[in-house]
Amino acid sequence: MTEATFPQCRISTERLLNPETTERLLNKLIEIPGIRRMVLNGPNLPATVTYGPAKGLANPHTMRKTIHVGDQEIPLQVHVGTILLELENREIIPALQAACEAVFTHWTFRIQEGRYMKTTPSLVDYCKYGPDADKDILGMADPSSKSKPVIIQGTK
Amino acid sequence: MAYKPQFGPGQSHVAENRRKQMNPDHKLAKLRDVSDKDIVLVMGHRAPGSAYKSAHPPLAEQQEPACPIRKLVTPTDGAKAGDRVRYIQFTDSMYNAPCQPYQRSYVEAYRFRGIDPGTLSGRQIIECRERDLEKYAKELVNTELFDAALTGIRGCTVHGHSLRLDENGMMFDMLQRFVMDKGSIKYIKDQVGVPLDSEVKVGKAQDAKWLKANTTMFHSMVGIGFRDDPEYVEYITRIHELRVKYGFMPKEA
Repeated sequence: MTEATFPQCRISTERLLNPETTERLLNKLIEIPGIRRMVLNGPNLPATVTYGPAKGLANPHTMRKTIHVGDQEIPLQVHVGTILLELENREIIPALQAACEAVFTHWTFRIQEGRYMKTTPSLVDYCKYGPDADKDILGMADPSSKSKPVIIQGTK
Repeated sequence: MAYKPQFGPGQSHVAENRRKQMNPDHKLAKLRDVSDKDIVLVMGHRAPGSAYKSAHPPLAEQQEPACPIRKLVTPTDGAKAGDRVRYIQFTDSMYNAPCQPYQRSYVEAYRFRGIDPGTLSGRQIIECRERDLEKYAKELVNTELFDAALTGIRGCTVHGHSLRLDENGMMFDMLQRFVMDKGSIKYIKDQVGVPLDSEVKVGKAQDAKWLKANTTMFHSMVGIGFRDDPEYVEYITRIHELRVKYGFMPKEA
């Protein structure tokens, strides 16, 4: 049986996004039917200082907030800079473009097509999810962390 | 004819800014006034007002071996007093920051004495005797070498040099040591991320026009690209070529 390959895109912006901007963008994106999976990428914002003399101290950061997308709360762990999307078909790319244009009024952005998500389980994925891992959750969350993917009810 | 240093190649304004910063005869423009106490707080090596800790007795109190070099070189104040060696480290954004790591080391070597600069791709550290360091750090922070938003005083977790800026134009900092408050920037943590008891204000960020005119960083997207300066390219190509050839240990006939 042939495995279906879904088109993937990457939205990258001129600036790293504030949580409020990310929230606005994601709320526009989830209205578009046909997005299967989404990954928010960016530099990590740990809750505690991980290195140096201040190691272990709390690390309050204005960019690490919980945002509300659709009917779900998403605690951001990164300063969002790139959004990876897996789509059901290419026809919705103009809708993505329109959603981005509505949000990024001050900064430029670009949408690229390519392969951006993990396709095969890594060793850590294997340790965490076992040999029969659901391929849809691969790469959705850091396998070495306790975080899990957030599932947002689709509009279809 | 007396030797006149050229400091560096290039015809672009970036090259000119580099030469200007390196030239010790050029007085660096003072843009802000961060006090001695605030500099000490941000560096976090000692409590403001406390005595300097020493690594050895003052030079006047110890027997020094007969050494012609010691006679030639006047010790700095910190060395004279026997201060311990401390550091300050800077991260400069590649989006038109006024200075950058390699440039910093050149600038410091031309302008300061008794220093040990360490250059890395995205950060630059300067080590020297503590009381000399405070004097030098003040100059590095208060002058045109520093921008409140695009230059960070970061002892560790320095990531940010090559990252896109935040929406408000500040360089990314995982530990958020400095924050923008009503357009003005203040340090709320010292350089290693320990929260400060009192904030240190470093003033407003320079505007984009000033940064573009005063940067020492080539950047084809936000400023002038390296390849747009043919003299610089020629110089770097020559250095590269000579170094590669030397790698094969050429023998002169």
